Amino acid sequence: MPMKTDTNPLPGPAADAALAHRPWRRTRQALICIALLAPASLTVAASPARAEAPSGPLTAAPHPAPATASPIPPSRSARPADARSGTLLLKGEDGRTTEAQRLATDYEVEVSGPTARVRLTQMFHNPSATHVEAVYLFPMPESAAVDSLKMVVGERVVIGAIKERETARRDFEQAKSEGRKAALLEQERPNMFTSSVANIGPGETVVVQIAYQETIRRTALGHTLRLPLVAAPRYNSKPLIETVDLGAEGWGRTVADPVPDRARIEPPYADPRVTAPANPVSIRVVLNAGFPLADVASATHTLTVDETDESRRVVTLGAGAVPADRDFELIWRPVASRAPTVGLFRETVAGSEYALAFITPPTAGETLQPPLPRELILVVDNSGSMSGPSMAQAKASLQFALRRLRPSDRFNIVRFNHTMTQLFNASQPATPDAVAAAARFVAGLEATGGTEMLPALDAALADVGSPSENTHVRQVVLLTDGAIGDEHRMFDIIAGKRGRSRIFTIGIGSAPNGHLMARAAELGRGTYTYIGAVNDVEARMRTLFETIEAPVVTDLAVTVTGTEADVTPALLPDLHRGEPLVIAAKVTTIGATMELKGMLGDQPWIVRLPLSGGAEGRGISKLWARRKIADAEVGRILRTLEPAAADKTILALALEHHLVSRFTSLVAIDQEISRQPGQPLARADIPLNLPAGWDFDKVFGPRLVAPPREIRAEDRKHLQETRLTGEAHPTSATTTVQPRPAHAARPVVVAQNAAATVNLPPTATDAELRLLIGLALLLSALAAYGLARRDA
Amino acid sequence: MTLQRRPRSAERLVLGLLATLLAGAGTLLAGQAAYIHAKAQLAQILLERAFLASIGTGQPVKPWNWADTWPAARIRAPRLDAEAIVLAGSSGQALAFGPAHLERTPPPGNPGTTVYAAHRDTHFRFLEHLKPGDALEILDASGARHMYAVTHTSVVDWNASGIDPTAAGHRLVLATCWPFASRTPGPLRYLVHARPSPPTDNRTSRSND
Repeated sequence: MPMKTDTNPLPGPAADAALAHRPWRRTRQALICIALLAPASLTVAASPARAEAPSGPLTAAPHPAPATASPIPPSRSARPADARSGTLLLKGEDGRTTEAQRLATDYEVEVSGPTARVRLTQMFHNPSATHVEAVYLFPMPESAAVDSLKMVVGERVVIGAIKERETARRDFEQAKSEGRKAALLEQERPNMFTSSVANIGPGETVVVQIAYQETIRRTALGHTLRLPLVAAPRYNSKPLIETVDLGAEGWGRTVADPVPDRARIEPPYADPRVTAPANPVSIRVVLNAGFPLADVASATHTLTVDETDESRRVVTLGAGAVPADRDFELIWRPVASRAPTVGLFRETVAGSEYALAFITPPTAGETLQPPLPRELILVVDNSGSMSGPSMAQAKASLQFALRRLRPSDRFNIVRFNHTMTQLFNASQPATPDAVAAAARFVAGLEATGGTEMLPALDAALADVGSPSENTHVRQVVLLTDGAIGDEHRMFDIIAGKRGRSRIFTIGIGSAPNGHLMARAAELGRGTYTYIGAVNDVEARMRTLFETIEAPVVTDLAVTVTGTEADVTPALLPDLHRGEPLVIAAKVTTIGATMELKGMLGDQPWIVRLPLSGGAEGRGISKLWARRKIADAEVGRILRTLEPAAADKTILALALEHHLVSRFTSLVAIDQEISRQPGQPLARADIPLNLPAGWDFDKVFGPRLVAPPREIRAEDRKHLQETRLTGEAHPTSATTTVQPRPAHAARPVVVAQNAAATVNLPPTATDAELRLLIGLALLLSALAAYGLARRDA
Repeated sequence: MTLQRRPRSAERLVLGLLATLLAGAGTLLAGQAAYIHAKAQLAQILLERAFLASIGTGQPVKPWNWADTWPAARIRAPRLDAEAIVLAGSSGQALAFGPAHLERTPPPGNPGTTVYAAHRDTHFRFLEHLKPGDALEILDASGARHMYAVTHTSVVDWNASGIDPTAAGHRLVLATCWPFASRTPGPLRYLVHARPSPPTDNRTSRSND
């Protein structure tokens, strides 16, 4: 392998920036070795994973370099800050500290027609002087079929095997204690994963590559690729601490924790006012749309788009690497009239045939009949996580929805944080007065507090004995960032109470919870959309509302003749405008025909697809299995499947198709010992960026360390004594306290709440101050007037 | 003379203008101050009405259509003849209308520490005059009456109140800004601590009819 010295091409001020990226550069170089070494190392592999040599910019990098990671450059102003995690802090020019980069991620996406293969490479760097176990919580799309994990250590590539979750965890823990390097990928939520890498030596870099398959989502907006880049902080409902309510027979109830795994999904977050954004991400999308492209755009990031031919593009980030603080979204649209309406792809794996079909209903003849009047229930999240741009987006969306109401419609608004309010006790006709009252209500919303979504959803779905039963279509539109940890409770409510209501979700903000949006809409037989910027509101809300006026195709049914077939999704949705039906099937012979029936308005609509006509596709079996796992989860929620049976199905599918799931993890373990017995190992939770636009204080509360106070010690003693003994201590209201100036030194943020004490809200108005100044001004006016008169 | 007169008329013009400007700004500020107090007073009348309706119907009744809160209780200090309707939740808007029942503290009558907070210059001005032993009467939205007696007062930082809402025992804490004489917002809070007193005890519940 030719070796070259890596000379820094950036002189002057740019060198500083380059310094921050040095570990990133080096890890990139290390990656080149994966490309070169991966094929050779595959013989080592003990697993049936598909061999994939990373491609794209990794192999195209200009400087092949030694694979062994070198120690990080000595950073002049670094000081150890947190002994537990061995963080290095570098002071930036704006006074904010920059953590020595410990993690960089590269996304390499290959879109071929309706599916995407995503390889995400995480480079863990250990800038500290001890061995660490790095733990990183990160998001993936909720429908991703995650099937591959590789770990690169020096010149070795270790390929991960799929195992039952506990077994994988045990193997990982054993390797960790033996001093071997090991990587573990676990699913926390369908869209939230943890990767752990044990025994990264001082100054070392370990590269972990994860790959997944997903289908491209298609809506009236276009074809969408969404890469969630940061896991937003979730609000986890506290277990209720209550005195046990004992009945007359001596039996009572205690309350179970709604988020039993809270500790696993509460990573540290860096305060953006204190720490500069970290965790750089680079993205490269090779787009092969399969049809002539009209445009390719992103509402979230600036892009560089290279046109290869009329249906192919290579998309990279315009800014190079960006911090992982918002989701990446890419939308492409076909040249009008050249959009395909049917797509069929197949794959043969282990003697079984798998097919994936996309069928778009005709859009002509939409004006069959005037849409029924609607009963529109708008549910809006005004919790603290929505503060800032998210709340502005939500308010603009609500105002848009209100403007679209027709006099024959009925409506109501439910807002919730940890409390909830309904605008009206029951939905009201959309009279100008009612709409004006609603507009005032919306304008007065403030984002603050926790996120207890359950009661609000419960109220929104309450629809017993409604007068609109037969005259109105009931639609519930939920606007939220979905930053909650107890999604399953939401799904249970929707499944139990959906009745005739259809649920449409709108994901707000820079990093909404896609799992919640998609699953809630699926259970509620609606659809979902994302709004990431105030500029988007108008276009996306219009599209959504046009879409939901009425479903285009209803009563869908699929039959396959000529063979046994296992078709997914089990529950076929109604189709909305511009959305195709996506069906995956497993069949024994390919000589079968799939027949799709439905109602297009009041006309029957039938499509017959001979499966043998499909084009060869890759990863279709995995998409089928992933979709079957989702079916089992949905069946579990809807109680059509016994929980135990559903869990068994999921485990079997995941093991057979090598997928990460609730019950399976990928684990890769190195053969060599890299940490000698006796050397310490520290755990380092990679701090996440707060999603762009979020307000740290509103999410975590002003968790401040109070500076030394000047209150007399007795006061505090009294307080404590009162609490301990319950005794009354008449105490002085004469404490000699001087109010501190409001702009006292910026308090230090601590990671944990010191104690569960109540913070008291500001309780002073400036009325008196205004009055005094006002009176003083009036007096001086009088004086000035008097002077003017005397002069005359 | 002409030389003297010209600056004089100019001076007069400037003074006149200044007077108008000052009068305008002064009226505006004084008006705002009056508005804050008027809003606080007026809201209490509407809240009183909604609160009585709540007790009557057993359902939370919103004081006005677009309110994002509702009356949760009425607090009375019989000795000072002061009373106010307490609102659920402590958003900035709620505090403009009445004392707020802080989130995550239990309702009165339940184990734990109930915390009500209000502005020192409107609804909770009377805290200054409360003394240990004074009776406090809370009427909750279900119509139940809870009697408390003031035990002591203290001054704390807003973010180190030492109040644990889940601590054992029944407690009530009223909070407002401190010092009372100050005209600018500050970090300190004045707390009035109270414990339940037996409702039969007529010594402290003179007004209890």
